[in-house]
Amino acid sequence: MTASRQALQSMLDQLDALQIEADRCAATVRAARRLNRGSALLAASVLMDSAVEHYRGNFTNRAMYTPLLISVLTLAISAHGTTDRRPASHRVRHGIAVAAAATGLAGTAFHIRNVLKRPGRLDWQNLFYGAPVGAPMAILLAGLLGSAAEWVRDTPNHMPPRLFGIPAGRALAALSGLGLLCTSGEAALLHFRGAFHNRAMFAPVTLPPIGAALLLNAAVAPKCRERWLTRVWLQLIMLMGLTGVGFHAWGIHRAMGGWRNWSQNVVDGPPLPAPPSFTGLALAGLAALGLLRDHEDA
Amino acid sequence: MPMQRPERTAMLADPLAEPRGKDGRAPDVFRPGGWVPMRQYRESEPVDFLIVGTGAGGGTLACRLAEAGFSVVGLDAGPWFRPLDDFASDEAEQSKLYWTDDRISTGANPLQLGSNNSGKAVGGSTVHFAMVSLRFRPEWFRARTLLGYGADWPIDWREMWSYYAEVEQALKIAGPISYPWGPKRPRYPYRAHELNAAALALAEGCEKLGVAWSETPLATLSAPRGLAHPCVYRGFCVTGCSTNAKQSALVTWIPHAVAAGAELRDLSMAGRIEVDAAGRAVGVHYFREDAWHFQQARNVVVAGYAIETPRLLLNSTTDRYPDGLANSSGLVGRYLTVQANQAAWGLSKREIRSYKGPPSLALTEHWNYDDRKDFFGGYCYMSQGPLPQLWANTLATARGLWGAPLMEAMENYNHQVGLKIVGEMMPQANNRVTLADDKDQYGLPIARVEYAWCDNDRRLIDHALDFMTQALQAIDASDIWQQTDDTCHINGTARMGIDPRTSVVDADCRSWDIPNLWICDGSVFPTVGGVNPSLTIQAIACRTANRIRALAARGELERRAHV
Repeated sequence: MTASRQALQSMLDQLDALQIEADRCAATVRAARRLNRGSALLAASVLMDSAVEHYRGNFTNRAMYTPLLISVLTLAISAHGTTDRRPASHRVRHGIAVAAAATGLAGTAFHIRNVLKRPGRLDWQNLFYGAPVGAPMAILLAGLLGSAAEWVRDTPNHMPPRLFGIPAGRALAALSGLGLLCTSGEAALLHFRGAFHNRAMFAPVTLPPIGAALLLNAAVAPKCRERWLTRVWLQLIMLMGLTGVGFHAWGIHRAMGGWRNWSQNVVDGPPLPAPPSFTGLALAGLAALGLLRDHEDA
Repeated sequence: MPMQRPERTAMLADPLAEPRGKDGRAPDVFRPGGWVPMRQYRESEPVDFLIVGTGAGGGTLACRLAEAGFSVVGLDAGPWFRPLDDFASDEAEQSKLYWTDDRISTGANPLQLGSNNSGKAVGGSTVHFAMVSLRFRPEWFRARTLLGYGADWPIDWREMWSYYAEVEQALKIAGPISYPWGPKRPRYPYRAHELNAAALALAEGCEKLGVAWSETPLATLSAPRGLAHPCVYRGFCVTGCSTNAKQSALVTWIPHAVAAGAELRDLSMAGRIEVDAAGRAVGVHYFREDAWHFQQARNVVVAGYAIETPRLLLNSTTDRYPDGLANSSGLVGRYLTVQANQAAWGLSKREIRSYKGPPSLALTEHWNYDDRKDFFGGYCYMSQGPLPQLWANTLATARGLWGAPLMEAMENYNHQVGLKIVGEMMPQANNRVTLADDKDQYGLPIARVEYAWCDNDRRLIDHALDFMTQALQAIDASDIWQQTDDTCHINGTARMGIDPRTSVVDADCRSWDIPNLWICDGSVFPTVGGVNPSLTIQAIACRTANRIRALAARGELERRAHV
């Protein structure tokens, strides 16, 4: 009797273990797909933003087509990844994600070169109106999130997911926190250029840094199951990124001719696709929180 | 077939033909065809302040005095435009903004009067000014004592510094984060505009020659403000901004003045200031709608700029004041001081398209602040963006091109790059405004304007032309030539000072002779400095308004306190 009960118990334990394994596996896939979605939002933002801005710059350098191409590819792999429920990395997806990250680095170098060759070099005029130094960061982040998605997805069943040798949840929390900080820096620069003429322009320079601090705290702090404040704050930033599009649409309306003159004002007015970058990064932050919760040791 | 819309036709009635500021309403400059309510005063009821002229001086003062609770009526000889309706992208059409009434211009170096130094519109010449909003160098307020030329101002630069800040805020000046010259100033309310290729050429030349350059602080919006749109870099700035980005008196001080209870009357030409037996101003005769009117006032302010201001004072003679009002010093009309406006032009290999954006986006004030030079005074120079008609005119008159050579030169328009100074000329008593025998359309004696350069003026011009030529050579411009004869801005015909024998008004812009007669425009400048005067005129107007409030509170508006 006791023996059979013990056997039953051990069978149940094994089933439990299997269930936990499966949950873990599902959790890594879930996190990976969330990362794919964050990457997709960033890539979409890059696609539209660089299309408008590089069109404005007449594509004077042929390299200016690169972010368009690479962000389309990043969108494609993100869509593929989002629909893919297999717990294994995908070589092409990963390759394109790495290429996107590399494009971000190269783009930053290009933009810095453009600023440095203008009279005045690294002055406010060129930071405001030269090639935006912070902008290629978005495709770098899209690439990094895409790569992270592959790494997390590829985690062997019995192992907690890791990125760069760090538990994946923590690494991702740090990455999305830093991304939020940088993107907020860019918004600060450009909203300063606009003299913060509308009070709403303070939102993307105040909410994201707080979200970044919460995420960086999550990256280094001892384990904690409920991070409800961080979660709510990131959802707030997601919402802010989407309402930002509305505010920028309002900004276009305030230019001469408003939306009737859309062909000029969409190009020269506040960039419509820029604010959703925040939504993409907040989504990545939520994925990090999910990993942290599902893998206590992650 | 498009339908004729009569209400639209009525809305666009010719603002030059019929006054708009009457029947208790004024045109709304921010809405096509719009109106705003405006208070109306009876002519028989003396208002606290009757201001002649509504430009940088009069418009600003009207606003500040109305806000302080005084009853204010402003007169302007020009029309009241709605820029959104009335301004075209057409240089010839926009010459309607200039004061082109008959005047006699004479002397060894007669001034070209019109686009560069006058305005006939509500808002005055700020409606078509280049928006360059620079502060004086502090030393210029004591030019005689510290720099050895001209005359000292009766106002301390530190006091001016706070009024400059007040005006910069009021106009939301778009300026650089840090300005390379002079004492610290507060952050400009709006950020500087993007530099066009002409401005970048200036910057490059300065860097090659080792002098500092800067984005020019400009009175045009780099971000939305209220109902005004941000600048769209249309380039028609000096022919009237049709988007309201330009922060002229017409779209800043004047709507505020009307909202605060001032009444402004357009198409109203002041002909004569009436003075009573006791020697006090009691009102102004003005011509409007084919009739002469008389508005009573407790104080009269003349703000007609440096030709019309002395003209009105000289035209208002009485038995008691046979030489004109406020003229016991004999200085009304004297010390007319303009600014040198010479240029160097060349061709760039790159496409410049200098007409894109505001014309003077970058400048250097190096020679305003560096005293190692062989002349008194200083100059700044700015990047240029002449519109095609003006440019063809310049080539024809200043360079003497005509026919095929002119056509060929115009083909290089997109590659033209130029630098132009605003240079300080020396105040000279013999440069003056007097009255001629001829009469204008109102039957008033017209102004006779005499001008001659002095040796110092010529040395300054030579220095500037030489330096700007070097700057163009440094950026490999070809076909460089110098435009040697041009002037801009008029000041100084009713100078302020501390001594009634050597000045017309005191530091408060109050005439020494008639305590309730004030002069508030560029006429009061004892020296002109090497920067555009509009910011200083507006700062002086803000100061005058503050002083009037203080004097009124002490009961000294009626009578000058004995000193």
